Amino acid sequence: MDFKLSILIEVFPLLLQGAWVTLYLTLISISIGLVIGLILGVMRVSENVALRVFSLCYVEFFRGTPLLMQLVVIYYALPSLHPRLNLPAVAAGITGMSLNSGAYIAEIFRAGIQSISKGQMEAARSLGMTHLQAMWYVILPQAFRVSLPPLTNEFVALLKDSSLVSTLAVSELLRKGREIVAWKVNVFSPYAGVALLYLAMTLPMTKLARYLERRVSEGRV
Amino acid sequence: MIEIRNVYKTYKTPDGPVRALIDVSNFVKRGEVVVILGPSGSGKSTLLRCLNHLEAIDQGAILIDGIVLDDSKTNINKVREEVGMVFQQFNLFPHKTALENITLAQRVVRRRSQKEAERIARELLEKVGIPEKANAYPAQLSGGQQQRVAIARALAMQPKIMLFDEPTSALDPEMIGEVLEVMKTLAQEGMTMIVVTHEMGFAREVADRILFMDGGRIVEEAPPQQFFRAPQQERTRLFLSQIL
Repeated sequence: MDFKLSILIEVFPLLLQGAWVTLYLTLISISIGLVIGLILGVMRVSENVALRVFSLCYVEFFRGTPLLMQLVVIYYALPSLHPRLNLPAVAAGITGMSLNSGAYIAEIFRAGIQSISKGQMEAARSLGMTHLQAMWYVILPQAFRVSLPPLTNEFVALLKDSSLVSTLAVSELLRKGREIVAWKVNVFSPYAGVALLYLAMTLPMTKLARYLERRVSEGRV
Repeated sequence: MIEIRNVYKTYKTPDGPVRALIDVSNFVKRGEVVVILGPSGSGKSTLLRCLNHLEAIDQGAILIDGIVLDDSKTNINKVREEVGMVFQQFNLFPHKTALENITLAQRVVRRRSQKEAERIARELLEKVGIPEKANAYPAQLSGGQQQRVAIARALAMQPKIMLFDEPTSALDPEMIGEVLEVMKTLAQEGMTMIVVTHEMGFAREVADRILFMDGGRIVEEAPPQQFFRAPQQERTRLFLSQIL
């Protein structure tokens, strides 16, 4: 083992830059993923069969194939279809992560929506609300509370999965670490820093998820 | 006001189809209070839920104010604005206060201003006897209070018809009276009401007409006096002897 604290301290600011890239990739992707997931989740319980089937296919495709494959296709294969699809690495990474997390978040919202008692939808409809109005004003606010803990977990999962974007030559945390390993000819010190920084980001979120879970189960969110 | 013409309805269940409504016909006049009685599984709740199209019917027709419910050209939301419904399980929106429960549909469906909707909501809370609970959440209210908020919520749409689906069945005995009292007041004000209930006292006192259902059919139909004193059908007599 070649761990040296002095090297870790020296390269730490560089690793922080990588951690920042990881964090904003994740934040932007989860935000877009939330919008995709919300739309797909609502489509999944729609009265319209075509919408339900579309949502189901999307979810199964993006959950059933590896994120790494999706990223590689978006970055390397799409440009051959049309030159306009030639995305910069960061944009390709965000696109892949957003589309992928959208599928997982759709499932979270679907489960949340279906956990709300049928009587809520019936009461809203009996007052003359349309299906979408009832969804928006009555079902989703309740479903969102139930979905908060799993959404926090999805954020953690996505943050870790963002390391896959390193294969597109985006200097996020893992890639930054690997670059430093080559440069310093030292393996353990940079990677120790990488692990520490990942943990610094994921542990608080995991804790938040557990806290929210407790609150939701006590009905206090 | 409400016309039910030869309605059939069958449920598909894992154990095979269940015929919930068999050739049900009836006519409810404006201002009439109709109480539907019958053993559980007799189709009375199904019939009620068909009247605002929470359930679709298989055959026949239901007309509300001359509008055919099961017609693709009918805007069911427009019809539902005129038909209030009160559920056994109250179904208040738990993330909203009593006041918000009553104002939501007014604003979203009736497009009333916040101020107007709140004024109406407070009037109705007064009417159902709990003006002090405006800012309470459903979880902070007793069952009887929740059901009264639910009635106020339905009334806020100024419906022409009110449907009650076993409104007191989920309540502790000491709270049944307060809810029935509100319903009685409504009936006296001339609201057209259809009530599915097991409260025989209410049926006897408030109903203009009683429908007795069994096995998906209307078995007997009579004014309360006659219904309770001299039921014509054997099935009705058996039912009454079991519950009275």
